[in-house]
Amino acid sequence: MPEVKLKNVVKTFDKGRITAVDHVNLQVHDKEYLTLLGPSGCGKTTTLRMIAGLELPDEGEISIGKRLVSKLPPEYRDIGYVFQEYALFPHMDVWNNVTYGPRVKGWKEEKSDRIGREMLELVRLFERTDAFPSELSGGMRQRVALARALSSGAKLLLLDEPLGALDAKIRTDLRYEIRKLVKDLQLTAIHVTHDQAEAMAISDRIAVMRKGKILQVGTPKELYLNPQHIFVANFVGESDFLEGYISDRVEHKLTVELRGGLSVKSLNKDHKIGDKVVVAIRPEVLSITKGKKSGVNALPGHIEGFRFEGNIVRYEVRLENDDMILVVRPALMGEWLNVGEKITVGFPVEKSFVFSYPERGLRTELALE
Amino acid sequence: MTIFSHTQGKQKWFSRLGVSSTVASLIIFVFLPCFFLISFTFTQWPEVYTEVFANPLIGDTNWIEIQKYLGLSLRLAISAVAIDLIFGIPLAYILARKNFWGKGFLEDLITFTLVIPTSGFGFATLITWTSDVGLGALFGTGITNTIYLIPGINVPFVMLVVHIALTFPYIVKTLKAKLEDMSTLFEQASGTLGAAPVTTFRKVLFPLTIPAIFSGSVLAFARSLGETGATLVVAGVYTTAPIAVISWVSQFKFGSAAFLGSLLIIVASAIILPVEFALQKRGISSFSIFSKLKLERKLLKVEDFASRKLPRLRDAIVIFFVIIVVVVPIIVVLNSVVLSWNSDPITGNAKESVVYQLFGPSNYFSALLNATLISFSSAGIATFIAACIAIPTVFLIERYRFGRFLRAILRIPLIVPTSALGLSILLLWGPGGMQLANPGIWLIILTHIVFSVPVIVEPMLATFQGSDIPLYEGASHTLGANSYNTIESVALPLLKRGILTGVILSFTRSLGETGATFLVMGSDVTIPPLVVNMVESLAIPAALFASTYLIAISFVLLMVFRKVTSR
Repeated sequence: MPEVKLKNVVKTFDKGRITAVDHVNLQVHDKEYLTLLGPSGCGKTTTLRMIAGLELPDEGEISIGKRLVSKLPPEYRDIGYVFQEYALFPHMDVWNNVTYGPRVKGWKEEKSDRIGREMLELVRLFERTDAFPSELSGGMRQRVALARALSSGAKLLLLDEPLGALDAKIRTDLRYEIRKLVKDLQLTAIHVTHDQAEAMAISDRIAVMRKGKILQVGTPKELYLNPQHIFVANFVGESDFLEGYISDRVEHKLTVELRGGLSVKSLNKDHKIGDKVVVAIRPEVLSITKGKKSGVNALPGHIEGFRFEGNIVRYEVRLENDDMILVVRPALMGEWLNVGEKITVGFPVEKSFVFSYPERGLRTELALE
Repeated sequence: MTIFSHTQGKQKWFSRLGVSSTVASLIIFVFLPCFFLISFTFTQWPEVYTEVFANPLIGDTNWIEIQKYLGLSLRLAISAVAIDLIFGIPLAYILARKNFWGKGFLEDLITFTLVIPTSGFGFATLITWTSDVGLGALFGTGITNTIYLIPGINVPFVMLVVHIALTFPYIVKTLKAKLEDMSTLFEQASGTLGAAPVTTFRKVLFPLTIPAIFSGSVLAFARSLGETGATLVVAGVYTTAPIAVISWVSQFKFGSAAFLGSLLIIVASAIILPVEFALQKRGISSFSIFSKLKLERKLLKVEDFASRKLPRLRDAIVIFFVIIVVVVPIIVVLNSVVLSWNSDPITGNAKESVVYQLFGPSNYFSALLNATLISFSSAGIATFIAACIAIPTVFLIERYRFGRFLRAILRIPLIVPTSALGLSILLLWGPGGMQLANPGIWLIILTHIVFSVPVIVEPMLATFQGSDIPLYEGASHTLGANSYNTIESVALPLLKRGILTGVILSFTRSLGETGATFLVMGSDVTIPPLVVNMVESLAIPAALFASTYLIAISFVLLMVFRKVTSR
C-alpha cells in the first residue's frame, strides 16, 4: 500500500543557480489525501514531478511503499498522474486514451476493456468513448485524464493543479468529485495547488511550501487555527498584522505595545519583554462597535473603505495610530456601517497569534514571489 | 468625406495592382517554366515520338534507355529515403530532446550538406570511397569503386552514399522542428502511464509527427530524384534520369530529353503531391496491426529492453553515421589537398600537383575565379528578384482565399528535377523559343528564380504563422495606421528573420545548383559545373582544390545561416 516518503530531497535547476526544492522531508500516509500548497514557483510542482519520476532529485531519497524509487523512470513507478494541461493524446479518442495504460503494460484485452469501461463510468463519460479530446469541454477532458490516470491500476494518484485550467464553477464541482473518487477507490493522493480554498476543501492534510521548503504540514483546521509560521497565517486564509514590541509579560499573557500609544493583549510562551513582534488576527474574528470604546483589545479608529462581496462585507479600518486593518463580517447579519464612521475594533485575547518580527521585514516575509 | 473615399479608392487600386502583378510574375517566372516542358512535349509530339519510339536508325532504343535511367533514379531515391529515415528519425529525436556536448556542432554538420554545392561534396565522397587516400588509406587501396552495385536493389554504392548525405538533413530538420514545437507533455503522460520510451515513440510521438516525417521524406525524395551535381561526379558508367537529360541536350537530342524531363516532372508530382494533400493535420490515430497480429505484448517487451539497455548504442550509431557520410569526406579532401599541394603524393610527379594545375598551363585558378564571379552574381541577382516576388506572395497566401491553392502549387518548383527545369527554360526563353536570352548568365538567373521563390516563401510562411502577425496588424489598424504603414512598420520587421533565412537558403541553393545550370549556362561556367568538368577531364588535384574552396565558402555561409536563424 503506497505510503510516500521524501527524505532530504533537493532539486536545483540551471546548473545549481536556482534551488527549486530545498531539503524537503515529507511523509504521506496510505490512503491519505495530501495537498502541496504554495504560491507559484515555490517548488510544489517540482516536488510532485520528482515523486512521479518526471524529474530526478539531485540529493535525497524518495520511496513509494517499500520501494526506493529516487532514480527510477516514471514508467516503473506505478503511479497515476494528472496534468494541469490534461495531456490527452490528441490522435486517440477517449477510449484509446483511457485504455492506453493497460495496453502499454501488456494486459490482456478483456482486462483492459473492463477497466476502461469501469473508469469511464466512474467519471460519467461512458457515452463519449468515440470523441476526440478536441471535441470535449475542459471539464470533460480533465475527467478523461483522471480516468486514464486511474486505469493503469495505480494506488497512488498525483495531481498537478488538475483544476487550474477550468472555469470557477466547474472547478468547485470537480474538486469534490475527485476527492470522492480517491476515497471510494481507497487511493493515496498528492494534489498540487496554489488555491488555498481548494486545498482546504479537499485535503486530509496540507503541506504549505514557500521557496523550496515546507513550512508547515497539518490538517486544514490545524493550519487555520494554529499557524506555525507568519507566511502560513497569511497564505491560508487571511490575516491582519499589527507590529509592536512586548512591554509586559505575566506567565504566557503578553502585552504588545503598538505604535501611537495603542496596545493589545495576546497569549504566547516563546517571547520575552522587549522582543519586536507581529500580532496576527483573522479578519473575521474582529468585531466592530460604533463609537469609541475602551477595554482589553479595544482599538479605536474610523471606517475608510467598504466593499460588499455577496456573502460577506469588508471594512477597511484606519486605527487611531494610522495602522490599517481589514475587518470581515457576514453580509446579511446586522447593519452595515458607513465610511467615515468612528468605531472601535475588538477581538478575544485567545484568537490572536504572536510571531517574532521577521528579520528580513514583514513585507518580504509575506511576499508570494 | 470625398477625400477619404478618394484615398480609399486609390488604396484599393494599388492593392489590385499589387495582387495582379504578383500573380502575373509568379505565372511567368515560376509556373510557366515548370510546365512548359510538358506542353512542349505535347505540341512537338510527332518529332518526339519519332525520336524516342521510332527512330529510323535505332528504333526504340531511346525509350528503352529512358526506362532504364528512370528506374535507376527511382530505386536510388527510394533507397536513399529509406536509409535517411532509419538514421534521420533517431537523429532528429536526439537533437530535439537531449542536451549534450557538441550538439551545436552536430547540427552544423547536418546543415553543411544542405549548404555545400553538391558537386564539390560529391567529389569528396568519391575520393573517400574509391581512392587510396580516403578511407581506403587503411587498406592501401580504394574500398570500393564507382562500378560496384549493391545487389538486390541494383544501385551504385557510392552514388547511394552521396544521395544519403545530401538528403538526410531534410528529414532531420523537418522532424526536429516539429518535435521542438511539440510539448513534451505527451511523452511525460505516456511515461506515467507505464510506457517505456521506445513504446512512447511508437504509440505517441510517431503518429503525431507522421506529417512532418512525410514532408521531410518528400523533400528528400525530390532532392534525390533531381540531384545532378554530385551524381555526375560519382556516376562512373551509370546514368540517372537527370544526367541523361543533360547528356541528350548536349547531343542535341531535344526530343528524348524533353520526353524524359516531362516524365520526371510527372513522376515526381504523381508521387509527391498526393502524399502532401493526403496528410491529415492531426496525424494518424494508431496502428492496430501489431495487436491484431498478437505481436503487441512481445513488442512491448522488446521495447522495454531497448529503452533500458540500448539508448547509448543508438546515439553511437547515429553519430557514427554522420561522421562517415559528412565528416570523413571533408577531412579526406582537406588532407588530400595538403598532400598533393606540390607534387603527387604517390608518383611524385609535379605536374600532378595542385599548384601546377591551378597556375600552370591549364590555369584552373583563373577559371575558378571567373566561375566564382559568375556564381555569386547570378545567385545574388536571382535571389534578389525571387525575394521581390516571394514577399508579396506570402501576403497573398495569408490574405486571400486562393492562398492555400497557391501554396500547394508552389511546392511544384521544389520537386521539379532541375535538369528538366533547365531544359524547359532553354526551350521557353532560349534561342529556340521566345529568344529572350542566349545561354549565359541571364538564362541562369531566369532558371534559378523558379526554385528560389518557393525556397524563400517557405520559411517566411513559417515565421508568419508563428508570430501572430494578424493580431499585431489589427492593433496597428486600431491605432490609426493604414495598410501600407502597417505592412511596412509591423509585418515586414516581424518577418525579417523568415526573409533572411529564405534569402540565404535560396542563395546557397542557387550557388550549388548544377543540373539546370549545365543546360543554360553557355560559356558562363559557374563553380559546380566547373568541378564536374575538372573531374571529367581527370584534373583531380584541381578538383581537390575546388572542393576545398567550396567547403570553405560553405562554412562561411553556414556561419551566416547560424547567425541569422539563432535567437
